[in-house]
Amino acid sequence: MSKAILSILGQDRRGIIAAVSKVLYEQNCNIENVSQTTLQFVFAGVFIISMPGDLSPESLDQRLKAELGPLGLDVHITMLESITAPVSPPQSESYVITTKGPDRKGLVAGISEVIARFDGNITNLQAVFKGGEDPGDNIMIYEVDVPPRTDQQALYRELKKRAAELKLDINIQHRNIFEAIHRI
Amino acid sequence: MLTQREILSTLEMLQNEHLDVRTVTLGVNLLDCAGHDIEKLKNRIHTRISHFAGNLVAACNHIGQKYGIPVVNKRIAVSPISAVGAAMSSSQLVDVAQVLDEVAAEVDVDFIGGFTALVEKGIARGDMALIEAIPHALANTDRVCASVNVASTKAGINMDAVLLMGKAIKQAAHLTAKDDGIACAKLCVFANIPQDIPFMAGAYLGIGEADAVINVGVSGPGVVKNAIDRALESDSDLDLGQISDVIKKTAYKVTRVGELIGREVADHLNIRFGVVDLSLAPTPNVGDSVGEIFQSLGLLSIGVPGTTAALALLNDAVKKGGAFASSRVGGLSGAFIPVSEDLNISEAARKGYIGLEKLEALTAVCSVGLDMIALPGDTTEETIAAVIADEMSIGVINNKTTAARLIPVPGKKAGDNAYFGGLLGQSTIIPVNNGDNPNSFVRRGGLIPAPIQSLTN
Repeated sequence: MSKAILSILGQDRRGIIAAVSKVLYEQNCNIENVSQTTLQFVFAGVFIISMPGDLSPESLDQRLKAELGPLGLDVHITMLESITAPVSPPQSESYVITTKGPDRKGLVAGISEVIARFDGNITNLQAVFKGGEDPGDNIMIYEVDVPPRTDQQALYRELKKRAAELKLDINIQHRNIFEAIHRI
Repeated sequence: MLTQREILSTLEMLQNEHLDVRTVTLGVNLLDCAGHDIEKLKNRIHTRISHFAGNLVAACNHIGQKYGIPVVNKRIAVSPISAVGAAMSSSQLVDVAQVLDEVAAEVDVDFIGGFTALVEKGIARGDMALIEAIPHALANTDRVCASVNVASTKAGINMDAVLLMGKAIKQAAHLTAKDDGIACAKLCVFANIPQDIPFMAGAYLGIGEADAVINVGVSGPGVVKNAIDRALESDSDLDLGQISDVIKKTAYKVTRVGELIGREVADHLNIRFGVVDLSLAPTPNVGDSVGEIFQSLGLLSIGVPGTTAALALLNDAVKKGGAFASSRVGGLSGAFIPVSEDLNISEAARKGYIGLEKLEALTAVCSVGLDMIALPGDTTEETIAAVIADEMSIGVINNKTTAARLIPVPGKKAGDNAYFGGLLGQSTIIPVNNGDNPNSFVRRGGLIPAPIQSLTN
């Protein structure tokens, strides 16, 4: 038994998950994790699967492409042995960083550079840029794990400074506030 | 994973709907500071409050920044000074008030409450000294707040104390005449006062409380108004039961914010967490008004027929949402209707939509009482006492908290404008029926007996 990551990309349409899972079932593969999203009109799905010993990645790739190619979907398989899981997840505090402001190039690069410099790990990023100057049309939401050794005041300061340079309104809040308000 | 909607709706509440933690109030028990030596008493009070409150403001600012929620006011509530300073004279208690004011300034809190006496059944020596000290104590200090509980459902109404408070209010107004009688804005007369109110001017630390406790007051009338507006925008046919549900869900969210912040501040200071008090407490800012909620509910203005029913619905829904959100809900928890502090209510008073009689009716269903009401300067102490007595009776008979915070504005008459500034706002002075004539009813004194608890019709 071996593990692989399967990524599927293409124009969104009905039946994509059904088509992928049908091939996996027929090839005796087991889906361990799956996550999918739709960005504008593009479907993106990532599957972690376990494969039987007698199935090669090339063979699975062929079967998937045969089934999904006609649907206009790209398929990519990576064996999981080449990716190492962290020994144990480091302790961290989870923050949500939200920005609004006029659209321009380099917004994600600018904010994520500061987060990376302070050892923050972006666990989720949602960004919508409709373009234009209306701040409400251009929103970035980062969920970030910040290790305890990070100087949080310095991180706050640098993020606010960078946001000001990019003409963004920025809010930095501990994740628990959203959990408290919206989850029972 | 949080949804985009959850995150953006939270930001909307904070940035455009004035959601904030209105106050983190540190309760400090001073009972074991008591003694006969005034200097020792003052030193002990100073040391005790400094010990517990030294890091209060820094902790609140730190936690506020962490969650992106401003803690607007940091306050202290102490044990009733009438008990702590029971052996002192009235002039010595004015000195105690000044120590409270000094230490409040040193630890940088906005207000310190607890210049308080509990006299619903009788007036002890220390209580009398404190009531006599109130006018000068409030006029000589900036941050000290006073409260006197003159009635309860179990004890009835102490009419001797009611008359004394009428006098104290008049004198406090006189001593601060150049500021429109602002000392009265720091003085509340109560029936059934809770022991854990974080809001001023009624905050004090009850006799049954621990050495120190953190109580939190959250507000958010703007959040409730916007939630109602949004709900009606998406379905204009909502009935009042459905609107009540919208308010309950909103109150739940606001209460959760308060409990999160309160518990974390308490942990940070290693002090036990007390209660979260969700009270729709307006400020004189546009969009932070309780009065505007009535317009969202379909009334022309607060004060017109239908207002009492609407307030009953609002107050009840707020309490229910808060009670579901936390098992530590306390204080007043409901809707305040302070006239001068709410731009919309103040405007309703100016236009004549609301007067003293309707405000009194509303207090039967709101969470506090006649609050921040500017009265003509020639209103007699007897009339003020009579207004207080009326208000206390509503609380006593209905087994609820009621309070009166009345300001007879020296030298001004009905229709004039009184200006208090800051969060206290400004208001048109409201006429009082027969306000400058004698009222011998309140001079009879004695105790109006506690009400019967059966045959409640």
